[in-house]
Amino acid sequence: MILTKITAVLRKDLLTAVRYRNGFVFNLISPALQLATFYYLARAVGPQFRPDGMSYLMFLIVGTGFYTFLIAGIHSFLHAIQEAQQTGTLEFLMTTSTPAPVLLFLSTLSSFAGGFVQFVLYVASGILLFATAVKVSLFGALLVIALSLVIAAAIGLFAAGLQLSIHKGSAVLWLLGSCAWLMAGTLFPVNALPRPLQLLSNWLPFTHSLTGMRLAIFDAGNQAALLHEIKFLAFFSCALFPAGIGFFAWTLRRARQYGRLAFY
Amino acid sequence: MLFTEVTPIAPMNAVALESVTKIFCQRALLTRCVREQVHALSNVSFELGAGEILGLLGPNGSGKSTTLKLVSPLLLPDSGRVTVAGFETRSAGQAVRRRVGFALASERSFFPRLTARENLEFFAALEDIPGNECRTRTEHALLEVGLADAAGKQVMKFSSGMHQRLAIARALLKRPQVLLLDEPSRSLDVAAATRLWDLMQELSQSGIAILLATHNFAEAAEVCDRVAILQKGSLLALSPCANQNERQLRDSYLHITQEPSLVPWNEEVPA
Repeated sequence: MILTKITAVLRKDLLTAVRYRNGFVFNLISPALQLATFYYLARAVGPQFRPDGMSYLMFLIVGTGFYTFLIAGIHSFLHAIQEAQQTGTLEFLMTTSTPAPVLLFLSTLSSFAGGFVQFVLYVASGILLFATAVKVSLFGALLVIALSLVIAAAIGLFAAGLQLSIHKGSAVLWLLGSCAWLMAGTLFPVNALPRPLQLLSNWLPFTHSLTGMRLAIFDAGNQAALLHEIKFLAFFSCALFPAGIGFFAWTLRRARQYGRLAFY
Repeated sequence: MLFTEVTPIAPMNAVALESVTKIFCQRALLTRCVREQVHALSNVSFELGAGEILGLLGPNGSGKSTTLKLVSPLLLPDSGRVTVAGFETRSAGQAVRRRVGFALASERSFFPRLTARENLEFFAALEDIPGNECRTRTEHALLEVGLADAAGKQVMKFSSGMHQRLAIARALLKRPQVLLLDEPSRSLDVAAATRLWDLMQELSQSGIAILLATHNFAEAAEVCDRVAILQKGSLLALSPCANQNERQLRDSYLHITQEPSLVPWNEEVPA
């Protein structure tokens, strides 16, 4: 039965995306433009700058690509609620036989799938076009992706819950996204930050997601470092996911109690 | 199985409201003190049997839509109990949702870029209906509300009346035990409204209980077995409406809502 639901949601999302033709085309073009931007930025910085022992271009591609994948995934939870509130479908969806958390996860599937394909294309294009040497740990990369997805889903559930309760989940996500953009090592290595921010960055799950992913793609030999990042990610997953589920269930119940389900 | 079925606690009525109160509070931003309270429903009780059509009449803001939402269960009561086929909405929401079909009054409850058929197939899939069955039920529901010819049309090109009919088709997809209709004949032309009334009567004959919020006295007189009159969240009267025509029903309604003190709760509507 869940397969029927997954198919129905993916079909609905695909049909909607294709029928907004201009947006669909822009979405296809923008990753190529971003890739070109990174190339020229790396050229401007020069080849002597090698953060974490890799070319700056690949540092940027993996950092930004994986960060975008995770943030877009988190946003998709918020967006699922926001869009359903604005199109007026939320109330009806909440009367269907599918439980609300399942509905929410289903609604984010296409965003996560699209983001993942984009990330893989980013990295593959970077490696093929700029002939970068790689030393991949496939298992490590998959583990980092899986744990990062659990963390992204947990934060997404918090965002969706905030949208239901304060109707401004986007503001909180914007703040979180900006902090992660600054401190997680997306555009530059974390050790370029002042010491207090480096310490703070250590408590951001994204820092470990990005470092773990870079290690898994370019430095698979450094297993101790990769394992260290995976341990952090496992800790964040175990702590955040149950909390996210609990928070969403609580805000949903409050929204039903106070009649604010469709408010936005 | 992720969610298990809960055993019904009192399987006699399709719907039962027992002393249900629903209050909406507006709170101050920082102190969270209650600034304003709206009693959407105050101590309302009634029952609805299988195959019965109960009309909810009342002015705007009287609590009709709130009653439907409490049964759906989009809302939870502050006190009292709402049960559907013996399942309480607070503790067995999932079991209730499987049994209730809701046609919302809002026009904006579909995906505008999808066609009517695509919308219904999507919502059918969410109701745990298997793939092939989804298509069959979709076609059947479209036919029932007279939208078979417009099945391939994008919903954003639909008129208000077509939206309304599509909402009813969607509510029928899961073959509910209880059907909630919020002003279903609003925006419908005479032919479509008549067709809808026939459909309601067919559904009630097949055992579906229908709770109908309406401002339309002709509709209430035509299809309802009983009517409940609500005002400011209170149930003023609950009565069979057999042998009452539209005019008689309107007169009774005006009499009761203008002089509510004369009519104690749940007393028969004077003919």
